[in-house]
Amino acid sequence: MSRGARLWLYALAGLVALSVVRTVTGADDLTSAGTMRAAIIAAIPIALAGLGGLWSERAGVVNIGLEGMMILGTLGAGYYTYYQGPWVGLLGAMMFGAIGGVLHALATVVFTVDHIVSGVAVNIIAAGVAGFLAEVFFADLEGGGPTQSPSLERPMSITVPGISDWSADLSAQRWFLVSDLAGLINALTAGLSIFTVLALLALAGTGWLLWHSAFGLRLRSCGESPSSAETLGVNVYRYKFLAVTMSGVFAGFAGCYLAVVASSGYANGQTGGRGYIGLAAMIFGNWRPGGLLTGSLLFGFTEGARLRQGGESVHALLLLIGVALLALAAWQLYRARRAVALLAATVGAGALWWYLATEAVPDSFTEMTPYVATLLVLALFSQRLRMPAADGQPYRRGEAG
Amino acid sequence: MSPDAVAGGGNAAPAVRLTGIAKRFPGVVANSDVDVEIRPGTVHALVGENGAGKSTLMKILYGVQKPDEGTISIAGEEVAFASPADAIARGIGMVFQHFQLADNLSVLENVVLGAERLHGIGARARTEIERISAAYGFALDPDELVETLGVGQRQRVEIVKVLYRGARVIILDEPTAVLVPQEVDALFANLRELKSEGHTLVFISHKLDEVLAIADEITVLRRGTTVATVTPDTVTAHELAELMVGAELPTPSSGESTVTDRTVLEVRGLRVDDAAGRALLDDVDLVIRAGEVLGVAGVEGNGQTELVEAVVGMRSAVAGTIVLAGTDVTRRGTRERRESGVGYIPEDRQRHGLLLDAALWENRILGHQTRPPSVRGLWLDRGGARADTERIVDAYDVRTPGVDTTARALSGGNQQKFLVGREMSGDPVLLVASHPTRGVDVGAQAAIWESIRAARRRGLAVLLVSADLDELIGLSDTIRVVLRGRLAGTFDPRTVTPLELGSAMTGADASEPA
Repeated sequence: MSRGARLWLYALAGLVALSVVRTVTGADDLTSAGTMRAAIIAAIPIALAGLGGLWSERAGVVNIGLEGMMILGTLGAGYYTYYQGPWVGLLGAMMFGAIGGVLHALATVVFTVDHIVSGVAVNIIAAGVAGFLAEVFFADLEGGGPTQSPSLERPMSITVPGISDWSADLSAQRWFLVSDLAGLINALTAGLSIFTVLALLALAGTGWLLWHSAFGLRLRSCGESPSSAETLGVNVYRYKFLAVTMSGVFAGFAGCYLAVVASSGYANGQTGGRGYIGLAAMIFGNWRPGGLLTGSLLFGFTEGARLRQGGESVHALLLLIGVALLALAAWQLYRARRAVALLAATVGAGALWWYLATEAVPDSFTEMTPYVATLLVLALFSQRLRMPAADGQPYRRGEAG
Repeated sequence: MSPDAVAGGGNAAPAVRLTGIAKRFPGVVANSDVDVEIRPGTVHALVGENGAGKSTLMKILYGVQKPDEGTISIAGEEVAFASPADAIARGIGMVFQHFQLADNLSVLENVVLGAERLHGIGARARTEIERISAAYGFALDPDELVETLGVGQRQRVEIVKVLYRGARVIILDEPTAVLVPQEVDALFANLRELKSEGHTLVFISHKLDEVLAIADEITVLRRGTTVATVTPDTVTAHELAELMVGAELPTPSSGESTVTDRTVLEVRGLRVDDAAGRALLDDVDLVIRAGEVLGVAGVEGNGQTELVEAVVGMRSAVAGTIVLAGTDVTRRGTRERRESGVGYIPEDRQRHGLLLDAALWENRILGHQTRPPSVRGLWLDRGGARADTERIVDAYDVRTPGVDTTARALSGGNQQKFLVGREMSGDPVLLVASHPTRGVDVGAQAAIWESIRAARRRGLAVLLVSADLDELIGLSDTIRVVLRGRLAGTFDPRTVTPLELGSAMTGADASEPA
């Protein structure tokens, strides 16, 4: 089976599982159009950050500075959108992100600074610069303040007539599977931001470019074996530099999405660690665009579920988590991996007990659901991952052979 | 350049002429006054011991490094290469000793990388690779991942890479170092075919019998400079060796048997699995007695690394027992095994044996961090460690300015001599030596061989894994062959030939049990 077909199958299985959980628990908001919409809006910035990570790491540069580049992106989006509208705002965000990318590229590629050290430096610098410039840019504007921009114009959104109304009706019926699917369709056809479409195109385009073009082959070869690339006449420095810069561009896009689509303006600390989550989603996705989108949707969905009927929906999810973990434990036990099985069984049983013993999950817990889910998924499913072979290693020209 | 210019040979301009090449690295002169002239359509061998500057010279010719002095001309035209791309454009191709392949990319991707303009990266490229592969009997599947290929196949991918770019001058850097004798024969058949098609081949090696078998002309390098150019019919292997080292070549030999009845290491039914639960080693039985050197031969990747790591305790056994001097150590960790007398010379000294950026005296403590003279009670004994490092430096002739020098500053041979000295400290009963002379110069090689012989005379049991069959035959009391994770044949080094070992190593030997 092709990789694409498998992804669709996983997506369908996920939807069926959610549908079952919704029917069993009666947590109807779990798959409503509203939750789905919130899930997509939460997932896209993470996917974009992950996409930035993908570009950089496929070329062999670990990019923990995504968070910082994303912060720069939110700031750029805030400034340019306020004065010139969302499209220029997007370009501005990408430019600001690219500045972070160039900084990281200079440090890691040209001066062979340790990638983690440089990335952390980018994060710290970006947070500081954004805090300072936000005050310069927005403090005196009407509706703005030293830590936030005025509310910003949103990019256009698309509503497909017919399908959107029809799917909204169907979604409200609460039929098994049909209504859940309709909820998803409604989220994709009513009020879909043009930036969401653009982000999905960026993911697909990256997949095509990196795996089906000569440019992509060269870029990936820099992450797998830069010395081989060098001996075949590839300018490794150039490709790495470009890849890390592009990484910043996509992280900037992610920041823009956060500022103008997911919320109504720039605010300090808006990224809330989504750059790191994006990196985690990319790792979960095995350094591939389809995989990282799956990881992002997983996070986005838990985030969306908590934003809506948080206590109830997350409570319903406990059932799913519990059963899934127990199944995983059985599978790992069969594979003779006792430690993993024990961990999965313990957490799974805990989740089930919690589900049965309570009616709803307290808000203080729902806040952390997406993060806990990410951690769990990474811990349990990250065993067969294959990172680019030379990822994170310093490269100097002339050492080949 | 025009391909016609190189065909025919005779009075045509040399395919490659290197004049007065010099290359200096900080503290080292890699090449000086190198003059080589390579006639078109010939196999030209470049010989010299490790560190003689062969590889540096070829990297200069391939544009990986720039010469500090001197000129390169290709087919009579003077050129300057800024990068390998320029050399490739001039029809030069190189097969590196350490293969330049990306494991996680397919054969196709590895081949077309950097040459995407020739035939694209899709169907046309696949057809072209299949055509080249079929023409030389390589049997390569363009869509297979390189990581699944064996050493011989990887080399073929490297050769296809070069041919795909239409190279006329092909440099092969120690192409036989990783091959068993049968694979070497197949390679030589390919090289002769390439030559007959008008390619010029530059063959780098220090294996003189191979050089004499394949080369039309031989240039000898010593200490970075060319000392002679000869033809194979006017020179013997012995004379070549003397040209290479400026003195007679040492040979490994063990002298009289010192084998006793006392068993030091006994391995029974050993099984080691990889992460997916497949057996890397299965049903391995071996016994080494005091004063005995047990040699293990095998094509790389057949389980010898895992065997060594299991004995040293770096990998845990799934089944079987390992008994060291009467004590079952199967469940013990590496530190406990070392404390009970295991010395270990790892196959990759830079990854497993040394901290390159730490001083020698600190490196002396590694692996002995619980034992005197490096330690007193809970604390490191710096004075004791330094004094003992001085002892090793003297006793094993480690050429270093002092014990505060970092390991990185030493040459490979001196690093290895230091490592051998360290592992022989603390009265070991078993020495596990994995490729002990890989990548060291002839002088250090002789010293390490002598250390292994000395260990044997002192009554140590020695487990010797090596890819150098002459070394195995010269030093061992018994030779076992490892094939696909099992110990296959047992051979007597006094009677076995490298060719017989090669057959057993590839499983070609019909008499060997399956």
